[in-house]
Amino acid sequence: VNRKVLLVGLAAVLPLVGVLLANIRHNPDPSLKRSPLVGRAAPAFTLPQVGGGPPLSLASLHGRPVVMNFWATWCVPCYQEHGVLLRGARQHGGSVQFLGIVYEDEEQRVREFLAQEGGAYPSLMDASGRTAIAYGVYGVPETYFIDAQGRIAHKHVGPLDDAALDDGLRRITAAAAAEER
Amino acid sequence: MRKTAALALGLALSAAAAAPAQEPSPAPSWPAAELAAGDARRVLGDPAGMPVSGSVLDARTDEVAALLRCPVCQGLSVADSPSTMAQNMKKQVRDLLAQGYDGQQVLAYYERSYGEFVRLQPPLRGINWLLWLAPAIALAGGGLVFARMTRKRGAAGSAAAPAPAAAGPPGDPVLERYRERVRALAYGEGEPGRAEKPAVTPGERR
Repeated sequence: VNRKVLLVGLAAVLPLVGVLLANIRHNPDPSLKRSPLVGRAAPAFTLPQVGGGPPLSLASLHGRPVVMNFWATWCVPCYQEHGVLLRGARQHGGSVQFLGIVYEDEEQRVREFLAQEGGAYPSLMDASGRTAIAYGVYGVPETYFIDAQGRIAHKHVGPLDDAALDDGLRRITAAAAAEER
Repeated sequence: MRKTAALALGLALSAAAAAPAQEPSPAPSWPAAELAAGDARRVLGDPAGMPVSGSVLDARTDEVAALLRCPVCQGLSVADSPSTMAQNMKKQVRDLLAQGYDGQQVLAYYERSYGEFVRLQPPLRGINWLLWLAPAIALAGGGLVFARMTRKRGAAGSAAAPAPAAAGPPGDPVLERYRERVRALAYGEGEPGRAEKPAVTPGERR
């Protein structure tokens, strides 16, 4: 009788222990999971521009691929990638729209940052945080690559380097090229 | 499986829509709320319920926020987290509920952006059924085993009364010695002196 109880008990408990260990070992960082929005329509928004000017909406950019970078001045990796984005915007600004979405920050600080570090594309204030929520942002920096059809083709978590930016750009311009054919 | 999940979600949504409507109240006409609902309206369509306000809205906001995981926290709900992100989400939940979106719609809205991860309670669909049913199955299984064991023991108890030799685990030499003595005293068979080397009479071990 004891052996039977032992076997039944082990059969019940071992799978649970296995699941537990697997979860401890993997412990997935939620921000690194594939975004459910990739491949789907980019959430629409209309946000005011830093430094004035008319509010900018995603719809108004329709037909152009967009690189959308969520960032903040309190975010150290955002300083790192700023140069990469500036270079990218200067190089590809003719065909790709670069956008900064300010995440949980004050406009005054953003102005100072841009005055100091330079700016080459519009930054938008997301005061209510709802655009970040709509895009499923976990933190900054995060960059969304939106193709000319308004679909999110790729999401990059963490600071961009040249290779990551080129990879993202290839995905939105390749998607656009494939659509045109 | 995706399809079944979508179907289950649809069922859940329609079930939620059929739930008793909140007490009617004048629709809030805050332009800020309207503007903010732009994306939600595109995703969710029309509200499934009636607009709510006042204490009902407060209570519903807390209720729904407690079901949402704060994306920037470690296992905290939107209701419990002091982070800016959670506070922004809570304000948005409130706006959506005020406009008449029901809890299921609000959860579905955030699920579009963050996936099922954003729900603190896994919805009843797909493999999650296993998660929800496992405790009940385990309890029922355990109860069945327990019932069978007690019934067997009860039956064994009444059946074993005329044959006490059958009771207890056989083979324990110490117990066997006592058993031998009891047998000798009760039935007069065997002798106390022989208890050192217990005699095994045929049929005794059955």
